[in-house]
Amino acid sequence: MEMFSLSFKEMRFFKVRYLLISFILFFIAALVFIINGLANGLSMDNASSFKTMDAEAFFISSDAELRLDRSNIEIGKTQIESSSAKIQPAAIQMASLKGDDNQKLDVTFLAINPGSYLEPIAIEGEALNGNNSMVVDSSLKNEGLKIGDVLEDERTGAIFKVSGFAEHQTYSHTPVVFISLDFWSGLTNGKVSFLALQEKDQLIQDKITKAADGIWAEKEKVISGIPGYEAEQNSLFMMLSFLIVIAVFVLAAFFYIMTIQKKGQMGILKAIGAKTGFLIKSTLAQVLMLTVISIGAAIGFTWLAGLLLPPNIPFVFDIVQIIKYAAILCMVSLFGSLISSINIIKADPIQAMGRVE
Amino acid sequence: MGNFPLVLNQINKSFNDGDKSIKILKDLSFSVKKGELAAVIGPSGSGKSTFLSIAGALLTPDDGNIFINGKDVSGLSDFQKADVRLHSIGYIFQTSNLVPYLKVEEQLGLVLKMANHNTEEKSDHVRILLISVGMEHRSSHYPHQLSGGEKQRVAIARAFANDPDIILADEPTASLDSNRSAAITGLISRIVKKKNKAGIIVTHDEGVLPFCDRIYAMQDGQLLEQTTKRGTNNESVQ
Ligand SMILES: Nc1ncnc2c1ncn2[C@@H]1O[C@H](COP(=O)(O)OP(=O)(O)OP(=O)(O)O)[C@@H](O)[C@H]1O
Ligand SMILES: [Mg+2]
Repeated sequence: MEMFSLSFKEMRFFKVRYLLISFILFFIAALVFIINGLANGLSMDNASSFKTMDAEAFFISSDAELRLDRSNIEIGKTQIESSSAKIQPAAIQMASLKGDDNQKLDVTFLAINPGSYLEPIAIEGEALNGNNSMVVDSSLKNEGLKIGDVLEDERTGAIFKVSGFAEHQTYSHTPVVFISLDFWSGLTNGKVSFLALQEKDQLIQDKITKAADGIWAEKEKVISGIPGYEAEQNSLFMMLSFLIVIAVFVLAAFFYIMTIQKKGQMGILKAIGAKTGFLIKSTLAQVLMLTVISIGAAIGFTWLAGLLLPPNIPFVFDIVQIIKYAAILCMVSLFGSLISSINIIKADPIQAMGRVE
Repeated sequence: MGNFPLVLNQINKSFNDGDKSIKILKDLSFSVKKGELAAVIGPSGSGKSTFLSIAGALLTPDDGNIFINGKDVSGLSDFQKADVRLHSIGYIFQTSNLVPYLKVEEQLGLVLKMANHNTEEKSDHVRILLISVGMEHRSSHYPHQLSGGEKQRVAIARAFANDPDIILADEPTASLDSNRSAAITGLISRIVKKKNKAGIIVTHDEGVLPFCDRIYAMQDGQLLEQTTKRGTNNESVQ
């Protein structure tokens, strides 16, 4: 307790110095959190359809390089149906839809069995019904699409009618359009791109592997195989890592200089009976107080930034990840101050005696 | 030994100066009695501060023993020495060496808290100490708001805060003019007498000597008592 009170009094006295370092900490932390929010936002904007999908693993062609749109599974319909309801076939295809006013929309078709767990819940309108109905990502509302609108697929010439809108359905930054697999099969000679598995189950997985050519891939693998996904996430992650490395050096240097300045003080405190351990603990307590306050403020600031950012900048405030980064930053600053504890250990109580300040 | 809180026995201390080592203290023996203030004088560089640092468990001698309240501290760890300093020794330095970010009352509070005194009796104790050095009206001032003499008074109060048996002062009046110097030395001497402590004061200042009971000179690494001055000194005090 006493160590907190000593460091608190010091901060009260040297307000400007400690405000400065709190600001540095705050800005670094806020930057880390905001980049994390943008990375999550981009990832959601890119692949929300698969991020929100209720599936744990996917069966895809071994030569597809994890890209669902390049995968093609040869398997009989009966073989799938006999294995488990948790196995669902789907076909995925980039497409271009044309409206009556000749407006073109780039979308991704995801052909599924209506009523299966792959079908999203429509927040507006109705679920898939009838052969040529479609449930589309709600972002298409911004393009002027309404329930009941009719569009034509450029490649096959098939006509589809909007029956409902669902939230968070994107693939490779394009809106996903859900259609009936049976109907789609009729247009494409029964092509199946991949099989989805709701919960991992070794028995079912082995059965499928025997029945068809292909490999099982986990959801995260498949998401990172989506075109553009890895590149976006990696560059943002790179920025984050550099920021944290910079934070290590900035904070370590700052604390080091601060404790060098205090070395004389520390010597005097030791001379009047303070123990080295107490002085180190007191310095760590100080750094901890500064860090917790600054990082707390940065979390609040990031949350606010997420609310205030315009909707065309995708931003997702993920508290679990932010707490993870906050813990890393806390560790970084404690580490920085631990390094500077060398100055405290070296501070000699003898300095106080017989020498002018 | 009970009457002598501080006893130094056959102390030797050398410092390395380049490749040769210079012997600063040679077989130095010294003791100081309760209720007595001893002055140590001597030329610059003769080893007065070195002697005081060893007496105050801040510096380890090459050989010899230091008994503080009858306990040999020569072999103690740094941690144990810090404890001895905290509980048994009060220091008054040349510059007051107050902690810049603590208010006057907190300066005393810190040493009390480090020694685990309970909070109830503490504030009273701090007030009484500050009254005894005439500084209670400045109790919530910071060191930078005080004059040199005032800082030194606070440092004296801090030195006595944990009720140590030994008070060590290294040129406590060097940065003060002669009037203040006399006032500060008088204060130290009065508290040492009143609280029955053993005090050592290292000084260059002749004006300090009348307040001291014994005067020692540092010569060739040893402390020699100056008997002639002691007589005049005793008369001037009484
Ligand atoms: N850490 C050290 N390393 C080397 N030499 C030292 C060290 N500390 C003190 N000395 C030397 O020991 C001698 C005695 O120093 P000390 O500080 O005890 O003198 P002093 O009598 O207090 O002098 P002053 O009156 O000027 O304060 C000096 O020659 C000094 O250079
Ligand atoms: Mg000296």
